[in-house]
Amino acid sequence: MLKALRLAVLALVLAAAGWETAVAPPSLHFPRDHGAHPAFRTEWWYMTGQLGDSGSRRYGFQLTFFRQGLDPSAPEPGQSALRAHQVLAAHLAIGELGSGRMHFAERRRRIGGGLAGAADDDLDLFLEDWTMRRTQEGTVVIAASDRGTATALRLELAPAKPLVLHGEGGFSPKGPAPGNASVYVSWTRLDARGVLALGGSTAQVQGQVWFDHEWGTSQLGPDIAGWDWFGLRLADGRELMLYRLRREDGSAASESAGTLVERDGSSRHLSSADLVLEAKTWWTSPRTGARYPATFHVTLPLAGLDLEVRPQIPDSEIDGRGSTGTVYWEGPVGVAGSSTGEGYAELTGYVASMAGRF
Amino acid sequence: MLLRTFFLRPVLRRPLRFVTTVIGVAAGIAAVVATVAASRAAVASLREGVNEVAGRARLEVTAPAGLPEELLGRLLPLTGDAVVVPVIEEIALLPALGDAVRVLGVDLLVDTQVRDVEPDAAVLASGRAANMLLVGSGVLLPQRLAERLAVRPGDPLEISIRARRRTLTVAGTFAPRRFASVWDRVLIVDIALAQELFGKVGRLDRIELVPRPGITEARLTAAARLLLPVDVTVEQPRARAAAASRMVRALQFNLTALSGVSLFVGAVLVATTLATSVVQRRGVLALARSLGASRRQIARSLLTEAVAIGALGGALGVAGGVLGARAALTSVRSTVAAVVRGVPATDIRLPLWLAALGLLVGVGVSVLAAILPLAEAVRTPPVQGLVGERPAFLHRPSRRRAAAVAAVFAVLAVALARAPAWDELPVAALLASMALLGVLLVAVSPILDLLARGAAGPLARAAEGTPIRLAIAALAAGRRRASWGAGAVGVAVALAVAIGTMVHSFRTTVIDWANQGMRADIWIRPLAATTGVQVGRLDPEVVRVAERLFGKDVIDPFHTATAYAGTQPVTLAGGEFAVVARRGGVTFRDGRDSRAVFAAALAHRAAVVGEPFASRFGVCEGDTITLHVADGTLSRKVEGIFYDYSNQQGMVVIDRNDFLRHYPDDGPRELALFLPSGVDPAAARDRLLAALGGRFFVEALLNRELRAEVVAIFDRTFAITRALQAVAAAVAVLAVLTVLFALLGERRRDLALVRALGGTRLQVAGVVAAQAALLGATGAAGGLVVGLAIGFVLVKVVNVQSFGWTLRFLPPWPSLAVTGALVTLACLLAGLAPALAAARMHPAEALREEG
Repeated sequence: MLKALRLAVLALVLAAAGWETAVAPPSLHFPRDHGAHPAFRTEWWYMTGQLGDSGSRRYGFQLTFFRQGLDPSAPEPGQSALRAHQVLAAHLAIGELGSGRMHFAERRRRIGGGLAGAADDDLDLFLEDWTMRRTQEGTVVIAASDRGTATALRLELAPAKPLVLHGEGGFSPKGPAPGNASVYVSWTRLDARGVLALGGSTAQVQGQVWFDHEWGTSQLGPDIAGWDWFGLRLADGRELMLYRLRREDGSAASESAGTLVERDGSSRHLSSADLVLEAKTWWTSPRTGARYPATFHVTLPLAGLDLEVRPQIPDSEIDGRGSTGTVYWEGPVGVAGSSTGEGYAELTGYVASMAGRF
Repeated sequence: MLLRTFFLRPVLRRPLRFVTTVIGVAAGIAAVVATVAASRAAVASLREGVNEVAGRARLEVTAPAGLPEELLGRLLPLTGDAVVVPVIEEIALLPALGDAVRVLGVDLLVDTQVRDVEPDAAVLASGRAANMLLVGSGVLLPQRLAERLAVRPGDPLEISIRARRRTLTVAGTFAPRRFASVWDRVLIVDIALAQELFGKVGRLDRIELVPRPGITEARLTAAARLLLPVDVTVEQPRARAAAASRMVRALQFNLTALSGVSLFVGAVLVATTLATSVVQRRGVLALARSLGASRRQIARSLLTEAVAIGALGGALGVAGGVLGARAALTSVRSTVAAVVRGVPATDIRLPLWLAALGLLVGVGVSVLAAILPLAEAVRTPPVQGLVGERPAFLHRPSRRRAAAVAAVFAVLAVALARAPAWDELPVAALLASMALLGVLLVAVSPILDLLARGAAGPLARAAEGTPIRLAIAALAAGRRRASWGAGAVGVAVALAVAIGTMVHSFRTTVIDWANQGMRADIWIRPLAATTGVQVGRLDPEVVRVAERLFGKDVIDPFHTATAYAGTQPVTLAGGEFAVVARRGGVTFRDGRDSRAVFAAALAHRAAVVGEPFASRFGVCEGDTITLHVADGTLSRKVEGIFYDYSNQQGMVVIDRNDFLRHYPDDGPRELALFLPSGVDPAAARDRLLAALGGRFFVEALLNRELRAEVVAIFDRTFAITRALQAVAAAVAVLAVLTVLFALLGERRRDLALVRALGGTRLQVAGVVAAQAALLGATGAAGGLVVGLAIGFVLVKVVNVQSFGWTLRFLPPWPSLAVTGALVTLACLLAGLAPALAAARMHPAEALREEG
């Protein structure tokens, strides 16, 4: 019925009143902080990575859980437990690198009522039968399937490096005002093995995966239209995360930043002054007409990196209007230049401005 | 040419008769079309409503008293195969509309995958609207309703839920893609808000399952059953629609049967009109025959008249039926709303087939009614028609044969009346009524004959007057014509008497029942819609306020819920037995004092059951009944069986505390207050309403008001029936009038002879008037006897079979006597005009014509 809510749920133009905001480096405790932070308005858990089967087939995938708070107040007596104080949405996208086909499915449910939940003491998310859970052994198991697109994915992921706290101890400022910030942590490299089903055939797959966990309330500054984000795993054992916050006029905001993770797992915060990010080619979506940058030139002199980042599936536009209300580009990328590698890129705000949304 | 002579000319000359006949047919057709259209509209909109509202949901998880919301979580393993959707579907009153609306509580976050309702652009763009709907008290309205109420997004919308005044916020409107009428009276809110509004926090009415691609219903059903408790049902939405239709069907049948009676009255009218017109025009017809017109031509012209009457009457009837259907729908809607939780649409759409059928039935009935007169007209040799009918030529009807046929009909009627209901419908009993009318029609001619012959001697001597003797002789002579007339009078009287007897028996029984049973001083119930639809229950808060004001021991809240006897839905009710045991009030079938019965029921944790339940399930006092209720089964001994005319589904009443152990307190359907003696009920009502302080939409009725309302509801329900009674009486008078004119035509020569032999004008007029009175009296007497018999069948068989109600057989003697007298008087008056015509007749001319 209600397309009404498609656009609206994660796109709520809400006053931040009643929500907690990230204003200073938090004191993080794991595994507790792998769990949900319902006092903050938005939160997401992203898994992106490249997988290969025993043959030559290569895949890119994304499984993301989004949590959106609608009402920060505690339930009142007599109130229904089904009140949608918190909503969980999830995106599953599997791309075939050979054919360039992208398969996308989405889910959405309120937290409560037993069909969706997000634990607040560890990584334990479920949205209907889609799950993302940390096990006793410290691995993470993710599972999601969709009958409409005939896709299914089940992976066990083992962190190959320690957790990275971006910014200052996980505190990641994204705008000029206090509270224009998020808490942002990542496992930049997880070893994955599992099963991937696509169009009726099932394959054992393995590969490497990136995990992001980020939460905040009014994290973006008021004039930010969108962002271009990259999580790259370089062949030399390093990882590079960087994002460019774009203003409405297309210029990069000074809060654009990144993190360089060394082979030993130590990390270094990168400010916008440390890097140059330049779009080289463009791709226009035949469905939305949005014009996305495709190939990027990334220069990071302090690390001696001069990279070309190229999409492995040009049409990786994700239409999440049935769940999060957003349309964005999220797909696997290859890295060439001074170092090679692979990773994922996320380009938002090209269809509609994200201003005021996060 | 013939057509103009035989059809147009009489019509133009006597437009009143033609018009009356047409109206008679129209009335019959209208009654049938109205009831069929109204009940079909109600049933169809229910079925359509269930299917449309179910959307893509293929399976529904339900239980008699709803489901705990935890079951949603139990279905988690199913979520890969199906979208799992919680639903609350309730009714509420929209005071601004004065009508009931359906409130659909759904999970607005997933419902896109279930239902096709397109919200407007403003809602699409607004995050505020979404917030209002999901965490506020936002409601979505159908666009047409929003326009009608002139509300816009952001406006408050007042609604009465369980009689409590609630204010929602209009979050937006939606435009249904199809079946706009289904959604016309539907408000959409989020499931959580629905739970809160209807006091169903933690509970759901049903869970819908929308299979994902490649999943079969059977597989989903099997998987769901494995996950759910055994007392929960997993079935297709249309099963719910079918159950609703089944409940409405009995009602539909009774209405249709009743309207069939009016059609029958119409048919009798057509037959009488045509028969008399044949008789009247017999001279002209004979002339035409002797001048060379063929039988076929004569037949064609008569048939044309019948078809014209039928078609005109049919067309008028169909048009009138549509208007009538609107009125009928109101009563059907209330019944439907009471039986199933739905609000049928208010639109009447006349299906083409029904319009065609109405026309066809009109024509068919007319043609059928024309067959006998037609045979008569065609068979009569021209010469007989030309010389006028004389007793000597008359083919004497075989009395023995007639008596035998009448006896066969009578035996058939008795057998049919004793036959059991057919599929819970009183088909045989209604056929028995038809057979009784058959007895009347067959018997009337020999009776008249007998009367004429038998009375000719002693009666005429006793009456010492020429007029009566002549009248009797004339009747005997023209008895075939006369028997038509008396038969028509008889059938009309019989129908009027039967209907009158049924209504009177029913009304008196119900009034006595109300007087004995309704002992409380004040009744409080949710405000009803202006359409009469009772909406929902009373908020439990109302009970608490009343308890605070008057004390717990004078209050009898009456709760109802649906339970199942086997697979049949019945009403399970909870009343405060302790209060009723003190104050009494209900009439029990075995005549015991209600206080003793309730005290015993309270002491033994027993139930009392309504008579319809007892007759439906063959239950007697002392038996133990078992029902499927919300939390399993409930077995109770039956302490007493009470008369119950408020319910035909069957009702089981247990103590309220017992009831609330099985069903959650959703609030009672009504609340009865037994005030201590000396307390002024009106003042107490004012106190109560003041204490409720405008927070609730309730009606509080005093004892006499409620009883008056019972009678008013009764009279409203039987308004159509009473109108039929009037039509029947009118038909009787009309029949006499036309028959007398015909007889007069035949007896012209005899009357002229009487005048020529010295009879006065007064004497001649007296002959004709006496004829009329005799005819009327015979018809009235026969009709009275047969009418009482039919009334007996209606009261004692049809009612019991269709409703399970025992009614006393109470013919309205005074009004029956008045009816008989009135019909005879009407016949006399009707005879006046022909009598005057006879008196004015010039004897010489009349004799010469014959010459």
